Amino acid sequence: MLNIPLALGEPLHKGWPLVLEDTVGVLIPSARPANAPSRHVFTSPLIIANLVSGVRLIVGFVISIVLGGALGLAMWRWIELDRLLGPVFLGLQTLPSVCWVPLGILTFGINERGVLFVLVMGSFFAIAIALRDGLRGIPPLYQRAGLMLGARGWRLYRYVLIPASLPAFASSLRQGFSFAWRSLLGAELILAVEHKGLGFLLATGRDFSDVAKVVAVMIVMVMIGMLADRWIFAKLQAAVHRRFGLE
Amino acid sequence: MSLAETFAPALASSNGASRRGRLVLEHISKDFPGSTVPALRDVSLTCEPGEFVVVVGPSGCGKSTLLNLVAGMLTPEEGRLTLDGQAVRGPHPERTMVFQDHGLFPWLTAAQNIAFGLKMAGVPRAKRDQRVEAALEMVHLRRSADKLVHELSGGMRQRVAIARALVMDPAVLLMDEPFAALDAQNRTLLHEQLQELWVATQKTVLFVTHSVNEAVRLGDRVVVLHAHPGRIRREFRVGLPHPRNFDSPEIAQLVRLVRREIEDEVNRVNAQTDEELWKPKTPADLDRHSVGMGGGI
Ligand SMILES: Nc1ncnc2c1ncn2[C@@H]1O[C@H](COP(=O)(O)OP(=O)(O)O)[C@@H](O)[C@H]1O
Ligand SMILES: [Mg+2]
Repeated sequence: MLNIPLALGEPLHKGWPLVLEDTVGVLIPSARPANAPSRHVFTSPLIIANLVSGVRLIVGFVISIVLGGALGLAMWRWIELDRLLGPVFLGLQTLPSVCWVPLGILTFGINERGVLFVLVMGSFFAIAIALRDGLRGIPPLYQRAGLMLGARGWRLYRYVLIPASLPAFASSLRQGFSFAWRSLLGAELILAVEHKGLGFLLATGRDFSDVAKVVAVMIVMVMIGMLADRWIFAKLQAAVHRRFGLE
Repeated sequence: MSLAETFAPALASSNGASRRGRLVLEHISKDFPGSTVPALRDVSLTCEPGEFVVVVGPSGCGKSTLLNLVAGMLTPEEGRLTLDGQAVRGPHPERTMVFQDHGLFPWLTAAQNIAFGLKMAGVPRAKRDQRVEAALEMVHLRRSADKLVHELSGGMRQRVAIARALVMDPAVLLMDEPFAALDAQNRTLLHEQLQELWVATQKTVLFVTHSVNEAVRLGDRVVVLHAHPGRIRREFRVGLPHPRNFDSPEIAQLVRLVRREIEDEVNRVNAQTDEELWKPKTPADLDRHSVGMGGGI
């Protein structure tokens, strides 16, 4: 699928205004002129692709949070582990997430697990590092107050340290989400797995030299990323900050 | 309803069976690695049950260190520390502390902060709510029960911190300059409230401050802690009944007396240091020079 030559001339022949009009047609089928050829593939597949990518995102991101959260906590708790993993994680974070695709294919094959692998690898380091830093930033006074009031062992974590690290954790989720979203789309773009996500739609747009479709899918990607960031993660962060009085 | 009655359910064991709370420090020394002088040297102090003891001294003389030792946050290199005959080992709700920076949990409301220790102790919900209610009442904060920490004023935060410490029914209440960050009016208000609470609960209180005025207002006994190394040279008994009139001439006179004692010590130390002026000064020495001028001393 990667070898279909790109018809780069199309937008130049049609002109950008026409491409944009087409794009609107792809995004909002009812806005399409009645005489325009039906582009069946773009209407319902767009919705399905959104659902497929959405489910992957949620599953992968939850795995990322659990894995990153556990490792962040462990790295904070055991300094030796942090010395071992900290630099590795920071290094791996510099790697563009699509670079995990080959390893994902070799490990899991071209399937759902391969896609999830790329998503998780692309985002959980950020969560682990941010949580570790968040825990490090907890005023020691909270820990002392907790111990004084009888919070020992796991209770100290559950009722003092974890809540105290919430502001940092909320920011790490926000950052982790943007990593996760980008990794997922990158993986979908390259890996043609059974269920077609947004990234795959982008790839088919390219394969059919359909600029309007490519642009339309990109707009959807940006919108979902921004909406999730604004409406979920920024709100979560703001709520935590309000609670802590950190305005 | 008197305070004592209000508190009866919350602080059940604090009255009747109150010969609890005998705190004994014997020849305590504490060294921090890397510092030239020990933070505390050979400190001995006994707080009788129900006694209000104030340790006063300049900043850096080891007051917080002393309280942290009693709280079990630190362990002494030498000496014995016992509460009601039991060796102090690690932090425990029988020794609760009110910190200078309150140390309340910002993610919890005032009431939840007060309930925290009871929850950790496994006190059932209904009982917990009842005791929290009583504790809020005792610090006159019922209407602020559901406020978050950052919505409370500095004075209110300290009152919540006091309630959080007292609701655990500790054998001894530790207070580390709890009112140092408050303005004068609020501080006086809290002095009055603390006296009231102490009279009602009969707790052993170990209070540290750098303010001689505060020490004499509150304490049955004022212990002067000198710096570098921290050690106790003198103590004063304040024989005035509670509640006290803070503007009384007796208090003013005692304040002068304690201040003079501290100044004498500072002068003695300075004279000693002046003879050694040719020696390079360590930060500890510089600290010593600035001691006499500051704040309450
Ligand atoms: N954790 C620590 N490590 C090293 N030195 C410390 C530590 N805590 C306190 N000190 C030193 O011990 C001395 C007493 O400190 P502190 O008890 O905090 O004094 P205070 O509460 O009277 O101001 C100071 O000289 C301080 O620098
Ligand atoms: Mg101190």
